[in-house]
Amino acid sequence: MIHVSNLSKTFYVHKKEAGLRASLRSLFRREKVEKHAVRNVSFDVGPGEIVGLVGANGAGKTTLVKMLSGIVHPSSGEARVLGFEPWKRSNALRQQIALIMGQKASLWWDLPAADCFLLLKEIYSIPTATFDRRLRFLTETLQVAEQLTTQLRRLSLGERMKMELIATLLHAPRVVFLDEPTIGLDLAAQRSIREFLLQYREEHKPAMILTSHYMEDIETLCERILLIQEGSLVFDGPLVDVMHRYSPHKVLTAYFQNPWTAAERKQAIFPGEVIEIDQKHVRLRVPRDEISKCTKELLTRYAVADISIEESEIGDVIEEIFREGSLPGSQP
Amino acid sequence: MLRYLRLYRSFLRFSFSRAMEFRVDFFFRVVMDLMFYITQIGFFAVIYGHTRELGGWDFDQTLVFISGFFLVDALHMTLFANNLWMFPFLVNKGDLDYYLLRPVSSLFFVSLREFAANSFLNLLIAMGISAYALWSYPGATPASQVLLYLALIANGAFLYYILQMLFLIPVFWLHSARGLSDVFASFTKYAERPERIYQGYVRRVLVSLLPLCLIASRPAQILFEGPDFWTLVHITSVTALFFLVLLLFWKLAVRSYSSASS
Repeated sequence: MIHVSNLSKTFYVHKKEAGLRASLRSLFRREKVEKHAVRNVSFDVGPGEIVGLVGANGAGKTTLVKMLSGIVHPSSGEARVLGFEPWKRSNALRQQIALIMGQKASLWWDLPAADCFLLLKEIYSIPTATFDRRLRFLTETLQVAEQLTTQLRRLSLGERMKMELIATLLHAPRVVFLDEPTIGLDLAAQRSIREFLLQYREEHKPAMILTSHYMEDIETLCERILLIQEGSLVFDGPLVDVMHRYSPHKVLTAYFQNPWTAAERKQAIFPGEVIEIDQKHVRLRVPRDEISKCTKELLTRYAVADISIEESEIGDVIEEIFREGSLPGSQP
Repeated sequence: MLRYLRLYRSFLRFSFSRAMEFRVDFFFRVVMDLMFYITQIGFFAVIYGHTRELGGWDFDQTLVFISGFFLVDALHMTLFANNLWMFPFLVNKGDLDYYLLRPVSSLFFVSLREFAANSFLNLLIAMGISAYALWSYPGATPASQVLLYLALIANGAFLYYILQMLFLIPVFWLHSARGLSDVFASFTKYAERPERIYQGYVRRVLVSLLPLCLIASRPAQILFEGPDFWTLVHITSVTALFFLVLLLFWKLAVRSYSSASS
């Protein structure tokens, strides 16, 4: 449903230093700087797939989404969404896609959502019976039926975002771009939106691309992720592969048989890096291929009552990848 | 076409709902426009205190002309002005994104989405002034000629919109529409005066490159002197040509749209 091949976008920005003198100088001579927002990105997304687009701020996620939804023209490369070149903005394509931006409202704040939805009904030429059925389904599932006639500015952030989601899905799009759909929401609202998206996916099988800084969104919704760094796609694959590829460690927790004194804790030498230690337990970061050796060493050396071995948190792994600024073993 | 009419009906319903939310603004606009009408009529009343004719027209004819311009202005204020005022903000803040996503002409959506219901009363006042001016005009004018005149006034409002939009579109590259908007506002003064007060190349420019005299002055001339085939061809072809230029310019501008960071 979505095919992207070597897609790139370069912006040209004028560089200007601070101060009045620099401002006056910039009137006559400006330094133009190329900013490569997206570089040679290629991937495909099939029906019913929710793909997580993950990257640091300014990595190029939103620019990529805006090119695929036809808002921004690319500098080079190709993309097809449902067989159409998105930036040609054919009505046939726009009738079948949707974009929700968590940081930008599409509805009109001084009107009730019901009025905004009626306008969208006309824009997308949705027959009245279909419109009524879909609106009932969406409002009941998201539990906002009672808020339909309240002005949007009087709704909570979570309720407003649910209304935005309804506005996005009213025309039953086959391709949905979700750019930070849960940003700023409390945990309950985040969870209800995630559950709704999974339910919607089950019933309609749209292709979805999701960007989010909340790793729980990515973990719950996406089986596959695209890691984007400085505009380049550095990883495309299942979420679990990220762990195997970029997290060479596991977390080993040992629970002591008897409480340890401060002196004992200070003198102890553990295999692996200590993450946390107290009277009752120690958490160690251990290289993945040394896990059995370290477990054996711990059991031999200390009186251990129980042991657990866990993967690192996906969020921590991705955060670390972006903090380090480069991806070991990545293939752009 | 039918779909766009249905969509426009929704814009109307939507806009009236919004306008009722802001009652103070509703009445403020009426007062502001009344002041504009009084100033304009007063200006010509002062001039006609010193002369019997201006550009070949007496005061009655000028009143018909200026009331025609009020109609153009009120139509523009009601249909387009709010949308065009918002347009540079949409481009610079990246809010144009959602307009480009919808399966309708983005130019139609941007230009007509908000019907200024609170200017609608001004349109009624302008129609009243125009009806009075036409009623008071002593010359014999058949009903068909009055209808043609009103159609040309509607065309004038459309041309006014096209010209303003052409001055606003550079915001895609300049990121500020202030200078060009001010220039356009200065130019519109030419449309508020009878065409025949201008001479030579200025007049030629005002009916071709910057066709401000085709907005209200030429229609008034047709009303007083009767329809002339070539004048009608001139007005309609200039309007069509400028509309074509607008469509092409819009296409080019939207291609350059860079949106804004999230």
